[in-house]
Amino acid sequence: MNDLAIELRGLTKTYGTGALAFQALKGIDLQVKTGEFMMLVGPSGSGKTTLLSILGCVLSPTEGEAVLFGEKLHGRKESELPDLRLSYIGFIFQGNNLIPALSVEDNVAFPLELRGASRKQALIEARDVLSAVGLSDKMKRHPNDLSGGQRQRVAVARAVAGRPPLILADEPTASLDAHTGQQVTELLKKLSTERGHTVVVVTHDNRIFHFADRTVHMEDGLLVPAPAQP
Amino acid sequence: MKAAQPIRTRPGFFRRWLTLGTIGVRMMFFDRLKLLGTLFGVVFAVVLGNFQVGTFLALLFKNRMFVENAVADVWITPPGTRQFQGGSPLNDAQLNRARSTPGVAWAEPLVLQTAQLKLPNGGSEPVSLVGTRAPRFAGGPWNLVAGETEALLQPDAVFFEDSEREKFGGLNLGSVRELSGHHVRAVGFTWGLLPFAPAFAFAEQTLAREILKQPAGSHTFLMVGAAPGVSPVELRERLQRELPDTRVMTRDEYLSEILTYILTATQIGMSFGLSTFMGLLVGLITVALSMFSSVVDNMRQFGTIKAIGATTGDLGRLLFVQAIVYGVVGSLVGLGLMAAMVQGIRNAQLTPILPNLAVGITFTLMIGVCLLASVLALVRLRKLEPAMVFR
Repeated sequence: MNDLAIELRGLTKTYGTGALAFQALKGIDLQVKTGEFMMLVGPSGSGKTTLLSILGCVLSPTEGEAVLFGEKLHGRKESELPDLRLSYIGFIFQGNNLIPALSVEDNVAFPLELRGASRKQALIEARDVLSAVGLSDKMKRHPNDLSGGQRQRVAVARAVAGRPPLILADEPTASLDAHTGQQVTELLKKLSTERGHTVVVVTHDNRIFHFADRTVHMEDGLLVPAPAQP
Repeated sequence: MKAAQPIRTRPGFFRRWLTLGTIGVRMMFFDRLKLLGTLFGVVFAVVLGNFQVGTFLALLFKNRMFVENAVADVWITPPGTRQFQGGSPLNDAQLNRARSTPGVAWAEPLVLQTAQLKLPNGGSEPVSLVGTRAPRFAGGPWNLVAGETEALLQPDAVFFEDSEREKFGGLNLGSVRELSGHHVRAVGFTWGLLPFAPAFAFAEQTLAREILKQPAGSHTFLMVGAAPGVSPVELRERLQRELPDTRVMTRDEYLSEILTYILTATQIGMSFGLSTFMGLLVGLITVALSMFSSVVDNMRQFGTIKAIGATTGDLGRLLFVQAIVYGVVGSLVGLGLMAAMVQGIRNAQLTPILPNLAVGITFTLMIGVCLLASVLALVRLRKLEPAMVFR
């Protein structure tokens, strides 16, 4: 596999047209190495989520080049994107976005089955990962029976299950208290190191910056140097 | 640690349906209130639709029961006949011409006319008196619940309708009544022979003619049996050539003609058809609204499933399986209710008929309706952008 997990060149994204056009990304150049744990930080409206959406193959760039593990994302048909997501990406969402109707183990097993694992294989892998995140006693429960921290740990398990090369996390600690947020990030860091994932975390939470191999700052649709510490 | 590798495996056709279908069913059963609401819509449509169709079939059966049960292969009727109802009488010359037509094994007259049954309380009730000819008794009686057909050979013997016994003043075997001024005796009972006209009563033809004061050479219908090896259609053609001033129909043609008459010349077909259609429409709207609102309520979940890597086709699989489950479960419950209702209201007057074919049609139709509803929900999901999960 290519040594670079992500390579962005002159990436722009414009929403709307004409007088209503809004440029969310104004020419991003970025490289992320395979296995790197990177945090993308910046104020609201700086373009972090738009960039994450393009990396997550749920949004297409307007201009520029985006390459994920050697696969070009730009110029792809929309119908090709779900397959790329299944092949390369595990997601952790801000609100965990677990499916309430499914048990914890089924929530983790579902993406694995979507990737072709048999039901049995998927459950074995799901139970393994859930044990790794410390939820072996909650596998049969439903998400609504769990605390916010536990749910986010299930979300981490779902993202890493099956070992997709890239994990994208959108504000994973936003709805958690400081201590739980630290625990979840630490868990993500540990698992990604053990399992060889590349991780991009979008966050506002400066209490977890120290987990990152590298922190990239965004402002007004551009990457900017880190602000000077007071 | 070796870097994680892209995952290239994908499920096969059945595995994909099973995975998405299982999730769809779990989502259905998780929201019990919505599940019950949707099932109510399907059950309502099944019960209403089947009740209407069943009642229509019962009405049809009432109109066609005589032709269905009589043993004639071919019927010679007055010109313009479209249902089982007498018109201008047929005569002996026509009967004799029918008997001499090649291919006719037998031909018999049938007499049918309304008679008045005098009740013990002084009132009277009409009956449709059938004059059936011994020893063949091709024109009934049938559906006997008491007595033997041969009892009609006894003097003044008449079969009455069992379900009308109370109405006829507590009629029992051996009861004597006055029928259009003639004393008759009840020698047997039939069950369920209630056309739209008054209930059928049966007497041997000679007695029936005396009661109805109908001359020996005047007949309501002529019934014909085909000789071995002669098809009813062929015989009908020959008889029609011989008797151009009558209408000749095979048994099947007569049954079909009655159906056509009911559907086209009366409002019954339109009325029942419309209410059946309304039942299906209500079912479709309920299921569609319920599935649509379920999709809207769970938009974030569907967005997540799509973001993880499911395609719109996968979401279609999820919804289609839900639709099939709604259709099957709703049809089962609805048909069960319908069967219980049919048993509960079983009487000789008008019990809806639920043929086996209705079961198959119900399942097919309701699954179709639910699938159509799911397509409407899928149209909404097709526009769902997975990027919404990051907003």
